Amino acid sequence: MTVLILTSEEDVTADMVVLRLGEAGVPVVRLDPADLTNGVALSGEYVHGARHGHLSVGGRLVSMNGLRAIWVRRPGTPAARAAHPSAWLAEESSQALYGMLRCSDARWMNHPDAARRARHKPWQLHLAQRCGLPVPATLITTFPQAAREFAERFPDLVVKPVSGAHPQEPPRAVPTSRVAPDTDFTAVAFGPTLLQRRIAKRADIRLTAVGRTLLAARKPADPDARPEDVDVRFAPSVSPWLPVDVPPRVAESVLRYLADAELAYGAFDFAEDADGIWWFLECNQSGQFGFVEMDTGQPIAATIADWLAGNGDSGRRCAEGDRSAAS
Amino acid sequence: MQPFTLNYARPAVQLDVATPYAYDSGLQLNILPDGRIAATDHATLRALGTTTSTAGSKTHFDD
Repeated sequence: MTVLILTSEEDVTADMVVLRLGEAGVPVVRLDPADLTNGVALSGEYVHGARHGHLSVGGRLVSMNGLRAIWVRRPGTPAARAAHPSAWLAEESSQALYGMLRCSDARWMNHPDAARRARHKPWQLHLAQRCGLPVPATLITTFPQAAREFAERFPDLVVKPVSGAHPQEPPRAVPTSRVAPDTDFTAVAFGPTLLQRRIAKRADIRLTAVGRTLLAARKPADPDARPEDVDVRFAPSVSPWLPVDVPPRVAESVLRYLADAELAYGAFDFAEDADGIWWFLECNQSGQFGFVEMDTGQPIAATIADWLAGNGDSGRRCAEGDRSAAS
Repeated sequence: MQPFTLNYARPAVQLDVATPYAYDSGLQLNILPDGRIAATDHATLRALGTTTSTAGSKTHFDD
């Protein structure tokens, strides 16, 4: 039984898992859906009540019925590198590929339906609340007056994109940024705006969840950091990520979050305040993990490989958040 | 008429350096010019930032 990995060729983080699977003797087929019709081929037939399907890439041929797990890591848009790419061909290719894969009995990390839903930050915040995780006061609005009133109630605010996406024309980054007290909120009317109470943090926490295995890392905040340096991805680094134990109540809530979200993998970001409380910021259903593993030595890639291979606690099914083709 | 959130945008940092590894379809891994597996060379990966959270990639929301 084969593990299918959908990702780009340059994804060296996926390489870390491919290596572990290779060491365990687990067959792997890795392909980028962007290469469909240009290096990647598929075929499926539905005849006399039976279904058969195959994928091929780089001289490898795998039966859809021979898949034990599918890891949706960093796949490109289907057929994006075809000889004559188009939106129509992309949709045709997406329907064919993912439609066939949904027919397999393989376990998903993560199932596309669960992944799509899990990307919505408002939904994340609500689910985190439901699971008992502390969530900073948050407003998402296009009403300038609502923003002004929120700023009166919570004078120390940050703003961040609702989607996590960043504008591309021209390419810009939108880090989580502190909002000045006298800010004019008129432009809130021109786009949904996410305002959140700033947590005066003493550390950032990245908790990587694989099945029921939780691996947390902590990066202490620079005690001399400016309050404007909110986003750890843009702030100067004064410490590597260090392993940290997960408080039992947080662990319980995170596992509930994963189960309710039907996720087999999630990268949770928390801000730790002066009282040691972990405030939920977001859960990236396909968040990066290589930088954490390299700093902490935590066996994240090996744990993912184990889950994909069906070993250990990861061998359980839907209760831990993985979905099968019946979804 | 610019959305409020974009008042906080900054130019994206473009990664100008070419990745020193290439994909080997036989191994299904990226390989350095000297034949070593790129994923085992943490110094190179750190220098390139290829495994890090990048605050919003071009094609993926989940970093």
